[in-house]
Amino acid sequence: MSQRNGTIRLEVRNVIKNFGGLQALKGVTLNIEGPQLVGLIGPNGAGKTTLTNIITGLLKPSQGQVWFNGKRIDTLRPYHIARLGIGRTFQVTRAFRRMTVLENMLAPGLVKHPYMSRKELEKRAYEIMEFLTIDHLRHEMGGNLSGGQQKLLELARLLMLEPDLIILDEPFAGVHPKLQRTIYDYIQRVREQGKAIILISHDMESIFTLSERLVVLNFGEIIADGPPEEVKNDPAVIEAYLGKEEEDEFI
Amino acid sequence: MKFRRIYILWGLTGIFLLGLALYPPLVGLQPYWILVGMTALFYAILASSWSLLAGYTGQFSFAHMAFMGLGTYAAGILIRDVGLKPWQATIGGILITGLVGLVIGYLCLRMRAVYLALFTIAFAEIFRLVVKAEVKFTGGPNGLEIPPYTIPDALQAVFRFFIPYWDANPYVPAYYFMAVLFFVSLLFMFMLVRSRFGIFFRAVREDEEAAAALGVHVVNTRVLAFVVSSMIAGFAGIVFHHFIGLIVPDQMQIGRMSLIIAMAVIGGSQNLIGAALGAIFIHFSLEWLQSIPLPVAVLQQLLFLEDIGFSVDLNAGVLRTNAWRMVGFGLLLMLTLRFWQNGLISPVLDWLARREAAETVAQRFQAERDMDAIDDVQAITNPAEAGNPSSSSEPAS
Repeated sequence: MSQRNGTIRLEVRNVIKNFGGLQALKGVTLNIEGPQLVGLIGPNGAGKTTLTNIITGLLKPSQGQVWFNGKRIDTLRPYHIARLGIGRTFQVTRAFRRMTVLENMLAPGLVKHPYMSRKELEKRAYEIMEFLTIDHLRHEMGGNLSGGQQKLLELARLLMLEPDLIILDEPFAGVHPKLQRTIYDYIQRVREQGKAIILISHDMESIFTLSERLVVLNFGEIIADGPPEEVKNDPAVIEAYLGKEEEDEFI
Repeated sequence: MKFRRIYILWGLTGIFLLGLALYPPLVGLQPYWILVGMTALFYAILASSWSLLAGYTGQFSFAHMAFMGLGTYAAGILIRDVGLKPWQATIGGILITGLVGLVIGYLCLRMRAVYLALFTIAFAEIFRLVVKAEVKFTGGPNGLEIPPYTIPDALQAVFRFFIPYWDANPYVPAYYFMAVLFFVSLLFMFMLVRSRFGIFFRAVREDEEAAAALGVHVVNTRVLAFVVSSMIAGFAGIVFHHFIGLIVPDQMQIGRMSLIIAMAVIGGSQNLIGAALGAIFIHFSLEWLQSIPLPVAVLQQLLFLEDIGFSVDLNAGVLRTNAWRMVGFGLLLMLTLRFWQNGLISPVLDWLARREAAETVAQRFQAERDMDAIDDVQAITNPAEAGNPSSSSEPAS
């Protein structure tokens, strides 16, 4: 699907973001090269979503730059960045509520392939919906779906854009175990397609299992970056993020 | 072959189109009722193009009537001062409306619901008041004359051949022009909303940020809807007033605008056809309600109504409800807004158009898959309670 296999390159260069007096990001530098699954963790308010919003153009950095595949993107508008190949989901699901599931799928599909026949596009949509087990709901309104199904819809919709880099913001939050497994499969499949993924999650178990590389953000700074096993045992992470021994098993 | 609801829809569409084509002889070629039909179609175009803007793209504009008037005034002035022929002025007027629509559309970009409504009210009222105050250029409160179209004789002959009652009265050609415009503009908008732009319109309405994150160009989408719907309103206004012969600023009153909005809302503002049918239905109801024919015996029983403002005409056998019909209309609007926010007509259309056959098959497959998944999960997690599937089945909406 993607023509730029292997050449995916995201560079976040010393990004600072101020909200009034609050500094949400204090000079974040992050490089992602080639297909890999990067887990991004950090306590609430660490700046994970802010970073996501800056990469996808919803927010402009106060200082610093973001580059993607050799192009500076922090000055571009969100739709442009999406068309360059960065897709995302939102922490709170944002399905188009008064559109059918299929129409939800077609929106990014028609962005990517404006002149493709509707039939071919629907065929692609069905394949993705079937994989995410929402194909039986295709004529149902997005707003009628359960919370978990809306989450699946968002993930499915994203693939219609055929992005090279996918940022998943809390895909496991509030999801039934059975759906969680579907999302697991989804992430693995997307990863096998040669895409890069940034996975933001509070679900430690899944993030340690899935990630090839783990980035820990705390108070707007990256405090650790490396293979999950290393990061897990990093004293700075244990102290700053995981806290004391007895608090190990939180949400 | 299996019976499907969509056939009912096709049947009804056929009946409607036939009725549209044969309307003048159906009302006995009475000028008054032909004019009512023509006005209903005019309102229907306005209501459906407004629904394209408000219902599909979520831009609740009050300036639609102003754009209608803008186009008409532009055309009238182009004829009077520039010396264009009416058909040339029609094109010019549409282009000018589109241009102004582009500017207003861009100005409205950052505005949501209430702010957009207030902004467009201000624009519409300022435009109306300027037109009213400016006597030299626009004719002020007396209005501007819009000269009629001249139809070439050869074309007249063709029309006469196909429509024997073409010359019965001047409203017949006007009605047919309006009917063709109604059909063409509805078809155009229908194709537009079925195209990718229709999907983008609604995606932007539902969630601008999410749409942008999926690559939808929010600015272009919103402005496109604004320009297209303004141009259609302008087109309808120009054609309609060419046959009426005069436009007055009060045609663009907020009250008139509200009437269009109410028509679209009662029909169903998220469905072009629903909005159009709503406008036709309400315009006819309002006309008919001006005087309800009742048997004299019934009227005699209703004489007490004269005390509260109705007028009972025993000789003609009618009850005049001129002032009160709007009360009923207002109540209908309130009830629609409270209980049927999708409108009264569009849910029926949606129900008839829904693809139900494919769905049942897919649902069956899903049910099988669910059962498999439940078995899997229980086998792993809790083999002892494998007989109780309710705990792990995801409710399918």
